[in-house]
Amino acid sequence: MTLIIRFVLSGVVAASLVNGTMFAEDNCLACHEASGDKPSALFRNDVHFKKGITCAGCHGGDATQEEMEQAMSKAAGFIGVPKGDRISEVCAQCHSNAAIMLKRYGSILPRNQAELLSTSVHGKLSTTGKTSIAQCTTCHGAHGIVRKVNPASPVYPLNLPKTCAKCHSDATYMHAYDPALPIDQLEKYRTSVHGRRNALGDHKTAECASCHGSHGILSVKDVKSRVYPTNIPSTCATCHSDAQYMRGYGVPSDQLQKFSKSIHGVALLQKKDLGAPACNSCHGNHGATPPGVESISKVCGTCHALNADLFSKSPHKLAFDQKKLPECETCHGYHEIVVGTDKLLGVTPDAVCSWCHGGNPNSKAYLVAKTMRQLIDSLGNSERAATLLVEEAEQKGMEIGEAKFKLRDVHQATLESRTMVHSFNETQFQQVIDKGFKAASVVSDEARLAVEEYYFRRRGLGVATLIITVLAVSLYLFVRRIEREQAKEK
Amino acid sequence: MMTPLKWLYRWIDERVQLDGLVEYIGKKHVPVHRHSVWYYFGGVSLFLFIIQVVTGILLLLYYKGGEELAFESIHFIMSKVQFGWLIRSIHSWAANLFILAAMIHMFSVFFGKAYRKPREVTWLSGMMMFFLALGFGFSGYLLPWNELAFFATKVGTDIAGIVPLVGKPLMIFLRGGEDVTGATLSRFFGFHVAVLPGIFTVFLGIHVLLVQRQGMSEPLTFEEKSERKSMPFFPNFILRDLALWLLVLNLLAILAFFFPWELGKKADPLASAPAGIRPEWYFLYMFQTLKYIPGRLWVFDGEVLDILLFGVAGLLWTLVPFWDRRSSRGEQNRFVNYIGLFVVMYIILFTILGWLA
Repeated sequence: MTLIIRFVLSGVVAASLVNGTMFAEDNCLACHEASGDKPSALFRNDVHFKKGITCAGCHGGDATQEEMEQAMSKAAGFIGVPKGDRISEVCAQCHSNAAIMLKRYGSILPRNQAELLSTSVHGKLSTTGKTSIAQCTTCHGAHGIVRKVNPASPVYPLNLPKTCAKCHSDATYMHAYDPALPIDQLEKYRTSVHGRRNALGDHKTAECASCHGSHGILSVKDVKSRVYPTNIPSTCATCHSDAQYMRGYGVPSDQLQKFSKSIHGVALLQKKDLGAPACNSCHGNHGATPPGVESISKVCGTCHALNADLFSKSPHKLAFDQKKLPECETCHGYHEIVVGTDKLLGVTPDAVCSWCHGGNPNSKAYLVAKTMRQLIDSLGNSERAATLLVEEAEQKGMEIGEAKFKLRDVHQATLESRTMVHSFNETQFQQVIDKGFKAASVVSDEARLAVEEYYFRRRGLGVATLIITVLAVSLYLFVRRIEREQAKEK
Repeated sequence: MMTPLKWLYRWIDERVQLDGLVEYIGKKHVPVHRHSVWYYFGGVSLFLFIIQVVTGILLLLYYKGGEELAFESIHFIMSKVQFGWLIRSIHSWAANLFILAAMIHMFSVFFGKAYRKPREVTWLSGMMMFFLALGFGFSGYLLPWNELAFFATKVGTDIAGIVPLVGKPLMIFLRGGEDVTGATLSRFFGFHVAVLPGIFTVFLGIHVLLVQRQGMSEPLTFEEKSERKSMPFFPNFILRDLALWLLVLNLLAILAFFFPWELGKKADPLASAPAGIRPEWYFLYMFQTLKYIPGRLWVFDGEVLDILLFGVAGLLWTLVPFWDRRSSRGEQNRFVNYIGLFVVMYIILFTILGWLA
């Protein structure tokens, strides 16, 4: 059916081009304007009209004919008002045709818009089950279409958020397609840095299409979508890593470079861990805004809840607030957060505690930091020793499954102690460390017993082999003696 | 003054007339020639079977049949039970050595034509025991209910299901249903510890009795010699046998210590089969042959043809005393030797190919 329609439409356009109705005098417009027809009034400003395309370019027929019957005759290819998917198909007849677009109009517009639209989330069937959700005219309008750079265009950057919101902020309409999809994107967007600047007339700041694309918008769940978690950093970086583009905004352009090296970036971009944060996890998406000093711990705490909770109850909370230090960022950094090792703790020059508490070796904070580092190092040593013993027993072929399982408890205690550091409370920290020591001791004892058992077995084997061999040799010698005696008797 | 041992002997003799038996054993002689060494493999097989019975009974004290308990009970035996690791490893190693020793014994009998008249029944009972030993291996392999055993049993019973006419009912009988499940484990356990040992013991009794009654077979070349050497069965041969058994025991202990039999991962019927599934080494040559036979060969299905070929070959092998008439008449039959050589080389080659695959 679609093929037939396309065939008819291509006939309409081709016929219009051949008989010159596309560029000839537009008698349709003359009559319709005279009758006060609103679409024809809008068409005067349309980019297509300015390029010399007549009404017949889209509606078919013969615009050179003065008689209505002849101009709108089916023989002349008149199709009336295109409905449903035929709208986009009429547009695609020219916009997907390189010969028409480039040679006739000198347009360098991409020719895959219709194709992208048909494969996009908007190209899916609407609730009527007959046509796609959106046609070209849904966003671009019909008779008053102007260029994208024209401030009157509905897809002009400053107008686009409102254009998208026509559907996306309509709860009833959106509910029919995706009840789970929020409808407050525009509202949030207006609170974001992007949205605020957009509202002030800065057409360079990101609007809907900057992140989601335009014709080929895909669902966020689609791995090819520009806003799929693993693609978000590169999508944001389109603008934010362009130093020239970002000039004047006072924002650095090395975020992606730093993020890619961070523990979060490695997890997201290299290990493809969708649980790892992308830019929007900390900055928000539609309401994109940089976290302030106050909100950093809340942002990090979304995932690192225990650490944030312990920190907020610790004495550091008040001190950081008073000195206006960003909570997590002060010690861990932000875009380039590296793997948190135990070296961050303590009073050595590379330990972050020493930045503030390294000056006075007699201060309580200095001693607590020093003790905590010693304890966590000791637990690490115990874990390593227990692991080595388990490995040794395993290498010797001993069944050590249970001890190996318990080794997880030691590691768990190490992880817990790293979290407990954020309480900066020596007693609480010691309790977790003690739990680890106890588990390591149990594992080590079991592994040591297994290794001892191995040597016991080896000794046992040696003794048994010796006894059995002696017995076998003795038997053989005994038989030989009997045989010698038997030979003598003969 | 009578020693306690002599007193005991007399006490039994008065009741069951041991003297006749002792006199008979005293007169029994074993031929001595350059192939005498092969006589010992029958005894080694018997010793390994005894080891299997003893270690099997010890394992029974802790083993629990059933889908949920089998793997855990073996794990318990290996990690918690005193010397459990040793008993289980010896049981597994002895099972493999038993089949190896039985195979060597079978081929030595075959090449020595010891199956010829009047020892046809001894050969038949031996072959029956060999097939039962394969059954022991197949059923015992599943009992730890680990991943490898589960899938090997699945493949093995699948192959049994291909046998024309009786295949499908046979497969369902072996599995206790359409699939390998806990029901299969239960019946394999039953076969392994009750059905097979019962039948095996009957054949073993017949076999040993016949060997004692008929004595050791002598090679055809030996019969032609004018001067025949021999040694008394008791005590010479028995004590030599005993010395060899001790060395085999040593070998078992060394293998069990240095190469403890692994338990692997617990079987998960819902998981996909892991890579490298293959049967025990003594089934490998048949499994490997199956890989080389095309899916369709003329009007025959490749798998059916493979099973039929091995079935017919096994049957002909078992019935050798009845079609090798020349050996029975005391004449040399080189054709049988060539068949034997071909079979040995085929088994070795395809087992190696199976291992390397």
